[in-house]
Amino acid sequence: MSLFDWLRTKKPGLDAAQQRRLEQLPKPAVLGDNALRSQRWVVVDLETSGLNLNRDQVLSIGAVVIEDGAVDFAQMFERTLHRAETKLSPSVLIHGLGPSAIAAGSNPVEALLDFMAFVGDSPLLAFHAPFDQHMLYRALKDSLGYRLAHPFLDVADIAPLLCPEANIREAGLDDWISHFKLQVGERHHASADALATAELMLILLSRARQQHIDSPQALQERLRQWKRRKQAPGF
Amino acid sequence: MSKADAFTQAGKTAVLQNIHGTLQFLQRFPPFNLMENAHLAFLVEQCQLRFYGQGDSILKPSGGPVEHFYIVKQGRVVGERPLLNQDAAETTFEITTGECFPLAALLGERATRTEHKAAEDTFCLQLNKPAFIKLFALSSPFRDFALRGVSSLLDQVNQQVQQKAVETLGTQYSLNTRLGELAMRHPVTCSPSTPLREAVRLMHEQQVGSIVIVDEHKAPLGIFTLRDLRQVVADGTSDFNQAIEGHMTQAPFYLSPDHSAFDAAIAMTERHIAHVCLVKDQRLCGVVSERDLFSLQRVDLVHLARTIRNAPRVENLVAIRGEIGQLVERMLAHGASSTQITHIITLLNDHTVCRVIELTLADKGDPGVPFSWLCFGSEGRREQTLFTDQDNGILFDAKDAAEADEIRRRLLPLAQQINQSLALCGFSLCKGNIMAGNPELCLSRAEWARRFGAFIREATPENLLGSSIYFDLRVVWGDEQGCEQLRQGILDQVADNRLFQRMLAENALRQRPPVGRWRDFVLTRKGGEKATLDLKVQGLTPFVDGARLLALANGIHANNTLERLRQLVDKEVIERLDGAAYEEAYHFIQQTRMQQHQLQTRENQPYSNRIDPDSLNHLDRRILRESLRQAQRLQSSLTFRYQL
Repeated sequence: MSLFDWLRTKKPGLDAAQQRRLEQLPKPAVLGDNALRSQRWVVVDLETSGLNLNRDQVLSIGAVVIEDGAVDFAQMFERTLHRAETKLSPSVLIHGLGPSAIAAGSNPVEALLDFMAFVGDSPLLAFHAPFDQHMLYRALKDSLGYRLAHPFLDVADIAPLLCPEANIREAGLDDWISHFKLQVGERHHASADALATAELMLILLSRARQQHIDSPQALQERLRQWKRRKQAPGF
Repeated sequence: MSKADAFTQAGKTAVLQNIHGTLQFLQRFPPFNLMENAHLAFLVEQCQLRFYGQGDSILKPSGGPVEHFYIVKQGRVVGERPLLNQDAAETTFEITTGECFPLAALLGERATRTEHKAAEDTFCLQLNKPAFIKLFALSSPFRDFALRGVSSLLDQVNQQVQQKAVETLGTQYSLNTRLGELAMRHPVTCSPSTPLREAVRLMHEQQVGSIVIVDEHKAPLGIFTLRDLRQVVADGTSDFNQAIEGHMTQAPFYLSPDHSAFDAAIAMTERHIAHVCLVKDQRLCGVVSERDLFSLQRVDLVHLARTIRNAPRVENLVAIRGEIGQLVERMLAHGASSTQITHIITLLNDHTVCRVIELTLADKGDPGVPFSWLCFGSEGRREQTLFTDQDNGILFDAKDAAEADEIRRRLLPLAQQINQSLALCGFSLCKGNIMAGNPELCLSRAEWARRFGAFIREATPENLLGSSIYFDLRVVWGDEQGCEQLRQGILDQVADNRLFQRMLAENALRQRPPVGRWRDFVLTRKGGEKATLDLKVQGLTPFVDGARLLALANGIHANNTLERLRQLVDKEVIERLDGAAYEEAYHFIQQTRMQQHQLQTRENQPYSNRIDPDSLNHLDRRILRESLRQAQRLQSSLTFRYQL
């Protein structure tokens, strides 16, 4: 499908400097068998104009870095993207980004380049990752002609994998936050959601170590098995 | 601003939103609530957020010099020190949301002495040492806090106590008093040509420390004080007929009568002077001395004591009791400690008891036998609050049992009358009948000695309870020698009786301080009431019982709990640091209890020692918890000492 997309879409117009920045972006690294603690992760959360995977647009990006087993407050990312053609839709009530905030936002090309530079070669984490992955993939391709190939793990899968005793099905971020009694502040924007997800992930990384999942690769492998088991029909 | 800059700026403000959330969180706690926003933002931007699962070690003594400063964002961290000769560890402190560690180790550039563990799932903000140092240099609230640690929190509590008390007092006793009201007396003055000798004679006659030299229009030209006189004498001047003009301080400092006592206090401190002239329309109208300012606080106590000792009738004493309550409130306002206040209450109570005895003797006639009036319990320990029971007895000398009976017959009616009069004065009658009017408590020295001996030999529950009341005995009125002999007898017997000590130790462990190992406070709920804890029984009693046991076992004569602790430290029975911590903790619980009593009196509520920790502010709650934890430590040291 990606090949087909690539053929159909024409390269967006980037200026020379932007083109140079695009070319300098590092290649994504594969998850290795280094210590889990030494892995740099980027936890991302997006606000979008709606839930339609093909029509709606990324309005803002919030991201937080987990490095050396901790959330680093010096490395935080948030950009609201300037979208001229956004119509006011009911989802403004959810993401809270009014037309004025969006009009004042950054140039999407610059914002996405900034974001990818911020990500570097690190794997990405998100709650309900497939949605964020897809939206981000589309935005990067439309605006930059860039193909997102970074490993993308879903915190909504990692949580029940490592905490089966929680026994909450189809849990949302709020459910996990209340399960771990996380005291998070007001969550009105993408970066606050990213921070909440990152805090949840810190707990999960601690659980992973207790369960002798020692490397990012092992985590990815366990996640794959768990998903396969979950999808396999029961006897 | 270029377009690119505008974008960066937009990005920055957005990033600040997350920083801002953390900033707002920190601003709920000291010292962060006092810090400048820019400094706080710097702190947050340099932080890392870390998670520790329950039981994870955060810092340990073997970890080398501490490299980070930690703020608990959520959860609880406990300090654990291994107990000597035991596998177990004792919890020495507890750190929860908004609190920081490890200040002493970080400033001392050493490893921590206690292991810090997460008592539950915990998030900490972690600041690296270079950033800590920079913040330390930049922000003075942060520096003060780091340097003084918890003791600066205690200061804040004391400030709050004073502020609260001042609010209820109005301006009457504050330093806002007009100087004109303060300087009641006419100033003592003389002319510039007055001989030195004459001026000093005037000062002496009027009992003042200063004389103001004025011109014919009463405008002040100079002042001559006792300090100047000292100078004159020290200079070897022998001619006291010289004019005072040559020795006075010219152009003395003055204020108007409308200035406040505070202004005068500041001027005195700044200028190192003890007298301020009051001048209105260029005429001298008064002098305020340092002593006048201090008398704002002191005169009441002296006055009250004198009034009590001279009260002509018991009814007068009853009336004076109300003033003691007001005095206590004022003393709290002026920052007196709970120890000072309990001592003063005890002092005034002692005066009242003595006066009641004197008045009763005058009324009923002298029985013709010498006797001493004893008190026990909190009165014996000089730890009374305003609300107090009678715990008293009589000690006399008798040759034999027959003579003792005869003397008792004569003293009992007198003792019963005294008990009744004391009840009128606000010392409620003792429900357990521990009163001198009870024939069993009006005893000769031999009878008391026998009774106390039985307490120590036969350790029944009643006897143990008895020893915890009677062994804090003290003479309020009469000869003290007999009582000292009794005390020496008790100390000798207890020192020899390890079994009795053990029983006392078990007894001292009965009341467990209401803090859990993993929980904040362990509260009891009665019926539909709010959950509360008892400051006296659960907070103070462990200290009182523990100090009594150790004092009796180590030949210490003192009765007062804090005095006992101090002497135990001097005798190296307990460590100096522990002693200081116990003292501070005891002090804080007592202070909280007295504030609560004052509040109850003001609101016409029945007085109670039960408190709902939620009714305290964040700071008080935290210190109360730490104080109760000290009581727990004292108990666990007894457990170890007596191998219980």
